Amino acid sequence: MHVLLIEDNPGDVRLLHQMLQEPGSLKAELIHFGCLSDALNHLSAATANVILLDLGLPDAVGLAAVRQVHAIAPDIPLVVLTGLDDEALAAEALQEGAQDYLIKGQIESHALLRALRYAIERQRMQVETDQVRKLQLQLKDEFLSHVSHELRSPLTAIYQFGTILSDELAGAVSTDQRECLQVILRNVSQLQSMIGDLLEVTRAQEGKLSIDLQCTSVVDAIAYTIKTVQGTAKAKGIVLSFDAASQLPFAYADPTRLRQILIILLDNALKFTDAEGLVTVRVQLFAKNPNLLLIEVEDNGCGIRADSTERIFERLSQGTDNGQAGRKGLGLGLYICKELVERHGGTIWVKTSPRGSLFSLTLPVFSLAHLLAPILKNEEWPSDAVALVTVEFRSPNGWPSREIREEFSRDTRGLLVRCLLPDLDVLLPRMADNGVGELFHIVAFADQNGVAVLTKRIREQFHRLKQARDSGLTFSTSYKLLARPTANISISSEELSAEMASTIEGFIKLEGLARASSHE
Amino acid sequence: MSNKKILIVEDDHDVRLGYHIRLKANGYDTFFAADSLSCIMEARKHQPDLIILDLGLPGGDGFVVMERLKANMYLSVVPVIVVTARDPHSNRERALKAGARAFLQKPVDNDELLGVIRKCLGETSESNLQPEHKDA
Repeated sequence: MHVLLIEDNPGDVRLLHQMLQEPGSLKAELIHFGCLSDALNHLSAATANVILLDLGLPDAVGLAAVRQVHAIAPDIPLVVLTGLDDEALAAEALQEGAQDYLIKGQIESHALLRALRYAIERQRMQVETDQVRKLQLQLKDEFLSHVSHELRSPLTAIYQFGTILSDELAGAVSTDQRECLQVILRNVSQLQSMIGDLLEVTRAQEGKLSIDLQCTSVVDAIAYTIKTVQGTAKAKGIVLSFDAASQLPFAYADPTRLRQILIILLDNALKFTDAEGLVTVRVQLFAKNPNLLLIEVEDNGCGIRADSTERIFERLSQGTDNGQAGRKGLGLGLYICKELVERHGGTIWVKTSPRGSLFSLTLPVFSLAHLLAPILKNEEWPSDAVALVTVEFRSPNGWPSREIREEFSRDTRGLLVRCLLPDLDVLLPRMADNGVGELFHIVAFADQNGVAVLTKRIREQFHRLKQARDSGLTFSTSYKLLARPTANISISSEELSAEMASTIEGFIKLEGLARASSHE
Repeated sequence: MSNKKILIVEDDHDVRLGYHIRLKANGYDTFFAADSLSCIMEARKHQPDLIILDLGLPGGDGFVVMERLKANMYLSVVPVIVVTARDPHSNRERALKAGARAFLQKPVDNDELLGVIRKCLGETSESNLQPEHKDA
């Protein structure tokens, strides 16, 4: 048995060493480190059967040490050593993943051995249980995904024939019959969104929710969503209002996902609000942090019971039925919402009272400066210049559909990234909708020669794309050399990236204006 | 002008009939295939203007069908719209790469389906093909 001892007190080390050498003990081999960093280095390359960790090390004290060890070696059982006056701390260490604790001065060899053996055994059982649980989850997810696909075909037929009847493709329909058909179709769409939710949850748990971050207008997304749910609101007699602060910056978000988040929140608000109620959406800069946007969805409905606000974002959690609210769906919407918001780097929370609920979420503001900062920190620029390279695709016959265009844009980004040097070039996110052509901007830390090499690489990549050529897409590259920001010690790297960012933003804006006017 | 011809490749009988009624009401002639083999035969026989293709088919899935369509000089130019119950997450990109003009998930909204069909057949006016938003 390999015991890794992390302890800085030579007296304690000697004592433990002796105890492990005593006759009758299991053959324990002791490896010893006097500080945490050395031990962590060792653990990154080697392993041990059990770790004995002192909570008063020179380079890490208390729970911080436990967390660091646990992060590097989550599967190795951990026993902490602590002083007599620190039993409370030891108890907390157990919650952070330690298997047991020993109090210095009270350790005797039998107890030590037993503690180590138990720790190893318990850890083994825990790992096994985790594996079984993982497997069960996986089976359940496969099952869910299978079921949701199988449900779609019969649902399709119900939808098709329901609409065939209500559109009178199979003969005239009376007013009463039409009302019945509306009920059928409303339930079809409810079922459809539940099936969609099942799949999303499966993906969220696998960490597979895809997010395509770009420069996104939150105002557009909200306006779009309000339009989508307006019908439902009108039918219930609920007033929907939208209140946006002026001059809002763009968010760094996936526009499709943002719409999905908003739809879930608005659907929810409408569901829990009575007739004649009011639902308001607001967006503004977050007062506590100007790098975040704050989006709020407020209703004056029945509210959520205070004891369930904690659990409302959990899977399968549902508000309690107050009788009038009707069916609740699967209780997956807010869970999906939370996953999506967090994948964007934001947070979501709720405040509630019997007079209504207020859902708030934050999303990061899009900032070119943040994207450029890591590159600007790179001290070994091969050249003195910075170039803004623009790659443009035009579809002279128009794009077949928005979907195809977005698909193309994603693929193209994938290809472009392959042409770049990861630590010197940055592919900027899509800057909103850009008219007839799809534009891609690259900030390259390169001079004229470097740019020539880069554009050649890009052209070669795209000439291979037979499909793009066949569809009549034309493709061009252009570039502009920008003044390299002066490497001045008095300027901080934040200021430097902010300055660069505003130069580039200004140029992109100008370029956009020029294009827009030439297309009109 | 005679009606445009649409080949519906779908193994579910009810769904097939549903398409037929909806498309006929919108002035299209329809033909059917319930598996990948008869799909190619029917396509060669009727030379459709457009194909609606399910991905889960007996005798080789929709991807196999698209490969075979591509190999045929006349059929390779016929626009294909994939309408499937399969997960778009893992199939959309693949279907579009395989040559589909659009990927729609079941159950697909009637207006959406008809809109995509019209676009693929070039029946929409030029102005509708422009992107919806334009930069200010």
